[in-house]
Amino acid sequence: MLDETAPHAGTPPPLQLRDVTSGYGAAPVLHGVSLSVAPGEIVALLGKNGMGKTTLLKTALGILPLKGGTVLVGGTASAGLSPARLVALGVGYAPQEQPLFPDLTVRDNLRLALRSDRDLAAGLDHAASSFPFLRDRLRQRAGTLSGGEQKMLILARALMMRPRLLLVDEISEGLQPSVVARIAAILRAERAERGTAMLVVEQNLDFALGVADRWAVLKRGEIDDAGPSGPAMRGRILEHLSI
Amino acid sequence: MPDRSTATRPGLAPAVLAPVALALAAAALVWVAPEMLDTFSVNVLTRSLLYAALAVTVDLLWGFTGILTFGQAAFFGAGAYATAIVLTHLGSSPAWVLAALALSVLVPMALGALVGWLSFHHGSTPLYASVISLVFPIVVTQLVYSGGEWTGSSSGLVGYDTLPLDLPGFFRLAGIFAVLVALGAWVFVRSDAGKLLVAVRDNDARCSYLGISPTRVSALLTVALAGVAGLTGFLFAQASGVVAPENTGFLFGTELVIWVALGGRGTVLGPVLGAVAIDYAGATLSGDLPFLWQLILGSAFVVVIILLPDGLAGAIRRGWTRVNARRDAAAPAVVALPAAGAAAGGAEPLLVVTGLGKRYGSLSVLDGIDLAVRPGELVSLVGPNGAGKTTLMRCLSDGTEPYQGSVQVAGRNTRGMTPERIVALGLGRKFQVASVFDSLSVADCLRLARAARDRPSPLGAAATLRLPAASLDILRLTGLDTALVTPVRLLSHGQRQALELAMVVALEPKLILLDEPTAGLTKAERTTIGTILRRLTADLGCAAVLVEHDLDFVREISTRVVVLHGGRLVLDGTVAEVVDSDLVRAVYAGAAHA
Repeated sequence: MLDETAPHAGTPPPLQLRDVTSGYGAAPVLHGVSLSVAPGEIVALLGKNGMGKTTLLKTALGILPLKGGTVLVGGTASAGLSPARLVALGVGYAPQEQPLFPDLTVRDNLRLALRSDRDLAAGLDHAASSFPFLRDRLRQRAGTLSGGEQKMLILARALMMRPRLLLVDEISEGLQPSVVARIAAILRAERAERGTAMLVVEQNLDFALGVADRWAVLKRGEIDDAGPSGPAMRGRILEHLSI
Repeated sequence: MPDRSTATRPGLAPAVLAPVALALAAAALVWVAPEMLDTFSVNVLTRSLLYAALAVTVDLLWGFTGILTFGQAAFFGAGAYATAIVLTHLGSSPAWVLAALALSVLVPMALGALVGWLSFHHGSTPLYASVISLVFPIVVTQLVYSGGEWTGSSSGLVGYDTLPLDLPGFFRLAGIFAVLVALGAWVFVRSDAGKLLVAVRDNDARCSYLGISPTRVSALLTVALAGVAGLTGFLFAQASGVVAPENTGFLFGTELVIWVALGGRGTVLGPVLGAVAIDYAGATLSGDLPFLWQLILGSAFVVVIILLPDGLAGAIRRGWTRVNARRDAAAPAVVALPAAGAAAGGAEPLLVVTGLGKRYGSLSVLDGIDLAVRPGELVSLVGPNGAGKTTLMRCLSDGTEPYQGSVQVAGRNTRGMTPERIVALGLGRKFQVASVFDSLSVADCLRLARAARDRPSPLGAAATLRLPAASLDILRLTGLDTALVTPVRLLSHGQRQALELAMVVALEPKLILLDEPTAGLTKAERTTIGTILRRLTADLGCAAVLVEHDLDFVREISTRVVVLHGGRLVLDGTVAEVVDSDLVRAVYAGAAHA
């Protein structure tokens, strides 16, 4: 049913999953998931632990092989495309675990998101305007940043690539509340400025509902419920997330 | 109707029977083989089988424990030379043969102790151990060269009296020995104690923080396997009647590593297959094709590496699982331990921090921290990202970390203590990023958390898993109790966090340090974890220090809150005082990163 709410008729959605089945071993984790993200739309993917949220992101990125269904990125079937090709198609990814180059400096980590030095100064300025602490830490090794600071650097780096579609995996984890609020503002500003579409996997419900236009709950590898964002939805979603 | 009586102990009987049955079959094959082979093959295969036993020891160190070693050749050579020196220079009466046997094991073990002591200490890297293992055979070879007539220098020793066995007799001796070594290795790596090797390979930091010393495990294994290599050397000296400097050298050590890699690292069958196949093929081909054989062998290596990246044994295993769908190992029955009546409400603080400071170069991360935590207290540590919270946790749990000031855990100053010694004082630490053992199952991880208390068996896997009630509660709450046999690498992020928390709680710590224990969990799961932590402190008298950002959670469960900002403790008070203070509001409204 999510497929039918495509506001920009004509342009292909930045991300469209049709009846996707995927997983690690013999037993699939995702069973026939359909989900799409329209241009300029922010969708929050919610669910308890082990329900397949990260699996869905990794499948969309082609890190995990498809066992059934199709994944379309900007209208192009992503099956068999390398991560490098997907990046060229405009996909950015802020993963959950160990995604930095810990022995490189903050500057070099950010530099690696760009194709050339031409845009570096502007990119660094943009990153520092999002996260001011980065300005003073450009020469520090990324591995010596605190856990929360690393998360901010990961997001800053993903944004530097100016993706058309941004996949974000639990960015709010381990961040102080004021920074979480700031990230929500940054994501919304990014969308307003560049029309970036986003799929945001989250545990922090308030953050997710604050930033997203729509939400979907994943339960045992299937989309269990979905709807538009809004404070009224809180209770309905909490029911899905309770034990 | 078939007898089903063995099914009453699920998992145990087949786990022991299968290797024993296979070993008996292999031993029978070894016994009859000399009747069917020509003299040349019997001769070569005697050597190959001894090399196979040696390759198994290399694989235990490299494949299972992650210590890439070139040193087993030196221990083998030391055992062979000890034997030949005794028999040549001292005598060959039965008493001297026994002495040679004993020395061939003890001399390499003593050398192994030296190598272990040099290679493994807190903070040493695997590369460092490999370099030592590379240097060591070179040293031993030089000693042999400079040993004059005692070692025969470059010509080696030859012509000493050996055991009164004929060629087939030595073949059978070597074969049975290889089968016994492989069987022993197989039983050990499948046992609970054998999981320690994989645990050290996967995550030595987590081992330390479970009270298991990874340096001790590595050093003990090195000593024990040096003894096995020396015994192999004794048999080699007997069977071949000659020992030479090449038997001790690092070239031979490198060959052993190649055999293990091609046969299949991290399996027991692999090194046996690799050693026998390559050594035998090399000997056969070098006779028929004296100049071509190394080219052929080299090309075969390349083909195997490209087609079978996990070695011959890996290919066999994949074929086997295709035919026989792998049955999941039976999950152990979980048994709740009676709650230990920990610290009987003593008022003595479990943690005393005085004037703690920490610098990275010119950057001061912590400065003048004073903090005391008593039994029953649950102290939340809050502060902006980058305030030094994780650094503080590290200084509290690792006395080898350079810092100013003092840290006392359970009344003992911990300066200079490794994490495993501090854990033995009653500390448990959960890391910010879940630190577990990826190659093991959930049950294995939990059992390792109990290894310092319930000594694991080196012979088999226990049918039960004994855990404290609080640890069990965490498993039940997060559904991990139904996933005990699941490999940890398949767990989701949140499940890994929950598993690590259950492991730390399974240590039954008196003082528990938790770095964002509920990150990645839903609100409902957080609340229940909070209740469990509350019970641990209030009812069982533990003390806890908790790093947390969720102020609602902090408010619900803490007895006290301290605020860390810019490396200093700026507030220490009751929940109401701190959470509602202007300072905390300012900090959380974004003073640090705004």
